Amino acid sequence: MGVFRIEEADRPHLLRLLIIWVVLSIVGILAALQIHYPPYDQSVQGQDQSRTLALLTILALPVFIGVVIMVLYSAIYFRRTTTELIDGPPMLGNTPVQIAWIAISAALVLFLAVVGIVTLASSNVAQAVNAPGRAIGQSGGQTGSGTAGGAGPELQVQVVAQQWYFTYRYADYGGVETTHLYLPVDRPVELHVTSLDIIHSFWAYQLGVKADANPGVDNIFHVTPQKTGSFQVRCAELCGLWHGHMADSEGQVVSQSEFDTWIAQQQKDYEVISKAVPSYAPFYFPEPLLKAG
Amino acid sequence: MVVPEHVSERRLSIPNNAITGILLAIPGYFAGVWLGTLFGLNDDQNTGVILGYVFATVAFLAGVGFLNYPLERLFGWRVSPLTDPDENRGVGRFFRLSLDHKVIGLQYLVTILIMLLFGGIGAMMIRTSLLVPDSSITPSGNYISLIGLHSVMMIFITSAVIVGPFGNYLVPLMIGARRMAFPRLEALSFWVVPPAAVILAAATFWGGFPTGWTGYPPLSEQASQAMDSYIVGFALIAVALVTSAINMLATIIGLRAPGMTWTRLPIFVWGIFTTSILGLLAAPVLAAALFMLTLDRTTQTSFFLASNGGSNYLWENLFWFFGHPEVYIFILPAFGIIMEIVPHFARKPLWGYRTGVVGLFGVMLLSFFVWQHHLFVSGIAPVLRPFYMLSTELISIPTGIIFLVTLGTLWRARVWFTVPMLFCMGFLFNFLIGGVSGVYLSDVPTDVTLHGSYFSMAHFHYTIMGGEIFALMAAAYYWLPKMTGKMLSPTIGRIHFWWMFIAFNSTFFPLFIVGLLNMPRRVSSYDPALVGLNRWVTVSAYFLFGSMVLFAANLIYSWFFVARPALANPWHARSLEWQVPTPVPARNFERVPLVVAGPYDYGIPNARPVADLGGMVGATGGG
Amino acid sequence: MAVRTRAYEADAAAEAALDTRLVGIGTWLALAADIFFFAAWWFAFFYLRALNNNQAWKAQGVGPPSKGYGAVVLVLALATAVAYFLGSRPASGTFLFRLLTPVALVLGLATCLFQGYELWHLGFGLTDGGYPSVFAGLSSAWVIQFGLATAWLASIVTQAGPAGDTIARRRPASSFAWILLFLAATGIVNYFLLYFVA
Repeated sequence: MGVFRIEEADRPHLLRLLIIWVVLSIVGILAALQIHYPPYDQSVQGQDQSRTLALLTILALPVFIGVVIMVLYSAIYFRRTTTELIDGPPMLGNTPVQIAWIAISAALVLFLAVVGIVTLASSNVAQAVNAPGRAIGQSGGQTGSGTAGGAGPELQVQVVAQQWYFTYRYADYGGVETTHLYLPVDRPVELHVTSLDIIHSFWAYQLGVKADANPGVDNIFHVTPQKTGSFQVRCAELCGLWHGHMADSEGQVVSQSEFDTWIAQQQKDYEVISKAVPSYAPFYFPEPLLKAG
Repeated sequence: MVVPEHVSERRLSIPNNAITGILLAIPGYFAGVWLGTLFGLNDDQNTGVILGYVFATVAFLAGVGFLNYPLERLFGWRVSPLTDPDENRGVGRFFRLSLDHKVIGLQYLVTILIMLLFGGIGAMMIRTSLLVPDSSITPSGNYISLIGLHSVMMIFITSAVIVGPFGNYLVPLMIGARRMAFPRLEALSFWVVPPAAVILAAATFWGGFPTGWTGYPPLSEQASQAMDSYIVGFALIAVALVTSAINMLATIIGLRAPGMTWTRLPIFVWGIFTTSILGLLAAPVLAAALFMLTLDRTTQTSFFLASNGGSNYLWENLFWFFGHPEVYIFILPAFGIIMEIVPHFARKPLWGYRTGVVGLFGVMLLSFFVWQHHLFVSGIAPVLRPFYMLSTELISIPTGIIFLVTLGTLWRARVWFTVPMLFCMGFLFNFLIGGVSGVYLSDVPTDVTLHGSYFSMAHFHYTIMGGEIFALMAAAYYWLPKMTGKMLSPTIGRIHFWWMFIAFNSTFFPLFIVGLLNMPRRVSSYDPALVGLNRWVTVSAYFLFGSMVLFAANLIYSWFFVARPALANPWHARSLEWQVPTPVPARNFERVPLVVAGPYDYGIPNARPVADLGGMVGATGGG
Repeated sequence: MAVRTRAYEADAAAEAALDTRLVGIGTWLALAADIFFFAAWWFAFFYLRALNNNQAWKAQGVGPPSKGYGAVVLVLALATAVAYFLGSRPASGTFLFRLLTPVALVLGLATCLFQGYELWHLGFGLTDGGYPSVFAGLSSAWVIQFGLATAWLASIVTQAGPAGDTIARRRPASSFAWILLFLAATGIVNYFLLYFVA
C-alpha cells in the first residue's frame, strides 16, 4: 500500500476543515456538558442512563459537526465558478481514506456497544421473565443477568396495567393493591409489570423505568431510587381510547419510615377490598377466554 | 416472448379500465359481505368486511383487465402478446392496464402524490389537535383514529414513492432495456395501490382503528371492523412489494443491455436492486402475520392471546421482522438517488463506486438482523438485548459509507447548484440527524427513556421525511423533465427547497426535546408545560405543508401550463436514461444499445460516450 | 454506420431463450419469497409451542388429526408435483407432456379436495388453543397456495392444445414444476411439524 500521502491540492482544504472542526467540536462538547440529561438522578439506573445519554451526545456532536462542515465547505469552496460546464478531477476513490473512515466508524460503534452492554450488565436495567407459577416474593430472574448479590432486600412491587390506569400491588404486604406508587428511598425495588387486557407500557420518567405490560407476562425491571421526590408515570404504548390520559402524577419516593406509615394506611384503607380482589399472582387472566373481534 | 404468428381475434370484450373496475368493485364488495354473513360466525361481521374488501379488489382488478390473461389461457385461446406496450398515446392509457413501464411509473407518481396529500392533511389535523394540551380540539378516540390513518397512509406511500414512479420509469432506461421482465406483474403492483388506499380510507366509516401502524394485538383484536381495513390494505401493499420486487430483480438480472456489466450499473439501479431484495423477503412475513390476525378476528383462533395459548410477542416479532426491513425499503432507494444525482452535478465520477455498492448491500443484509431493537423494553429475554444493540449499531457503518461516497464525490468538485443538488444536500443534513438519533435509540439504556416517546417520532420523521421525501424531491426535479417533458421552474424550486428545509427542521427538531421531556407518542393530551414547544411545532408544520403545496403548484404549473418542452438532456448527464429523446419512444430504444462506458466518467480524458445507440433519432449520444 | 447490437427481438431463438431465462429467474424469486412466508408460520409453531402460555398450546384432549389422512394429502401433493415435473421436462416428448399434465391436474384437484375436507372436519375447535390455531392457519395457507397452483396448472393443460402456447414455450412451462415441487416439499415439512412434533 505504501505511505499514505496527502495530495498537494487537498492540503489547504483539509487544514481549514480540521481547524474549524476542532474548534466547533470543543465548543459543542463544552455546551453538551452543561445540559442536564433526563432521566436525571432520582434513581441509580436513571443516573446511568443520563450518563450514557451525555456520552452519546459528546460523541455524536463531532460526527455531526464534521459532516455538516464538509457539506457546507463543499457548497462554498467546490462550487462551479465558470459559466460553462467543466468537469471536475476524475477521482475514482482513495482506498486508505475509505479504510480509515470505515475503521473509525466501526471503532466508534463498537465502543458505544461495549459501553451500552457494560451499563446494562451493571445496573440491571431490565430483566424479563415469562414464568407462570413463580412463587410470590421470589427475587431475581432466571436468566442469569441477575442482581449483584442475588437475593437482596428487594422490595417486590407489581405494576398492574389495564385500560386505562395503573395500579400497584405490594407482594410483601399481603398483595395490597394501591392506586399510587410509593417507593422507599435507597432500597432496590423489583418491579413486576403485567397487564390485565392489552399491551401497555409503564414509564416512570424520573426513575428511568420503562417496561411494557403484557397480558400473561411478568416483565421485571429493577430500580433503586436514590433521591426523594415525586415522579411522573405515563403509559407509553398505545392502548386505545384513553391512552393519552393514562398517567399518574402522584408517584413518590419517600423515606423508609414514611413509606411504612403509608403502606400500613393503605392496608387499612383497602382491607375490605383486598379480600375480594384475586390473590397476588405473577399475572392474571381476568377473562378466561378473551374473544377477538 | 415469441409472438405467435396468428394472434387470436377472440378477446373478452368488455372495455377494461379503471371505471369498469370501480363499477365491478361495488357489487363485488356486497357479494363478499353477503358471503361472509353466510358463515354465521360470531365475529361482529369481520369475515363479511374482509371478504367484501377482497372481493371488491379482485373485481376491481378484473375490471381493469388482470383476469383477461389467466382466463384466456384457461379457455384455451391463444394468448395475447405480453409485452407490446400500448402504442396509443392518449391520456386514456393512464387509466388502463398498461404494459409500458413508463406509463406505470407515471400512474404511480400521480396516485402516490394524491395519497401524500391526504396523508399530509391528516398530519395537519394531528398537529392542530396538539395546539392544546388536552383533548378539547379532537376527542381522544378520534385522535387515535387520526394518527392511525395518517401513519398507515404514509407507510403505504413511502413504501412505493421512489420505487414506484422512478424505479419503474427509469430502471429499464438506465440498463438499456426496451421493456421490463414481467410487465403484467408490474402493472399489478401498481393497480393494487389505489384499492389499498381506498380500503384504508374506508376505515373512517367504521370509526377508525385504534392501534397506529403497528397493529399490536390484543388491541387490534378488540378493535372494530375498521381494523379489517388495515389488514386488507396492508396485505395489498405486501402484494405490491413482492410483485414489484420479482419484476425489478428479474429485469435487472436478465435484461441489461450488452456491455452493461454489473460494475457499470448506475448506483440508483443498485439501490432499487437491494430494496427489492428486502421487499421480496420481508413482505411475506407481514402477509403471514396479517393472515394470523385475520383468523384471530374472524374464526376466534388464538395466535396472539396469551390466555389461550397465543402470545402478543408472536405478532411483535413477526411484524418487526417485516417492519425493520420495511424502513430500509424506504431509505435504500433514497440512498440510490442521492449517490446517483450528486456525481452528475459535481461533474465528477462517483467516488468509491464499489464501496457505495457494498454499503447498500451492508445495510440490506444487516437490516434482517436488527428487528428486536423495537422490542427492547417489551419484555424480551435480556440476553438478546446486547446482540440486537450491537447489530443495530453496526448498521451505522454501511450507512456511513453512503455519506463517505457522497462527500468524496463533492470533494474538489465543480458543483452545479441546481434544485436537485440542493435537495441532495438537504438530505445529507437531515439524514445525518436522523441517523445519529437512531444511535441514541439503539443504545438500550437510553432507549428506556426514548422508546415510545416523541424522540422516536422525531427520529423516524427525520429519516423518512427528511431523508426519503427530500430524496423524492431531488428525484422529481431531476427526472421529471424526462418523464413529463417539462422542466419544473427552478425559481419556484429554490423557494420550495429553502422553505421546506427550514420548516422541516423547525417542525421536527423540537420534537427530540419534547420526547426527552416525557411526552409519549400517540397522545392527544400532554403535560401543559410542553404547550409552548408543541405550538411552535404546529405552526412550523403548517408552513411545511405550505411548502408541499408550493411543490404541487410547481408540478401542476410546469406539467400543464408551460408550453416550452424540456431539452432531452437538460443536465448534460452521461447516464443512459438521458440519451434517449423526450418524450421517450414507446419501446425506449430503437434497438438494444451497446454499452461501452460507465455513467459517471466525468473528467476522464477521452472518455467514450456511455453507449452506442445505433444512430437513433433524437438521441444525444452520451453527454 | 451503426454497430450491430444484439437486438434480441429480431431473433426468435434468442427471444425464446431470454423468455425462458426470465421465467426461470422469476420462479426462483417467487419461491424465495414463499419460503419466508412459510418460515413465519414455522416460527409461530415453535414459538407458541415453547411458550405454552396458560398451558394452552393444546386444550385438554386435543391432538393431531389422523396421521394417515394427512399422509394421503401429502402423497397426492407429491404425486402432482412429480407427475408434472416428469411431464414438463424439455427432454420429455410432447406425448408425455400431454399425458402427464392432465394427470397432474387431477391429482392436484384431489389434493385440494382432501385437504379441504380435513380442514372442515378437524376434530378440534379453532378456539382450543395455540396448536389448533397454527394447524388451521398453516394448512389453510398451504392449501390456498396449492389451489392457486392447481388453477394455473389447469391453464397449462388447456394451453397444451394446438392453439396454446405451452407447447411453443415448453421451457418456461417446465419452470412451473419447481413451484409444485416447492409446495410439496413445504407440505412435507408441515406434515412433520403438525402431526409428529405437534
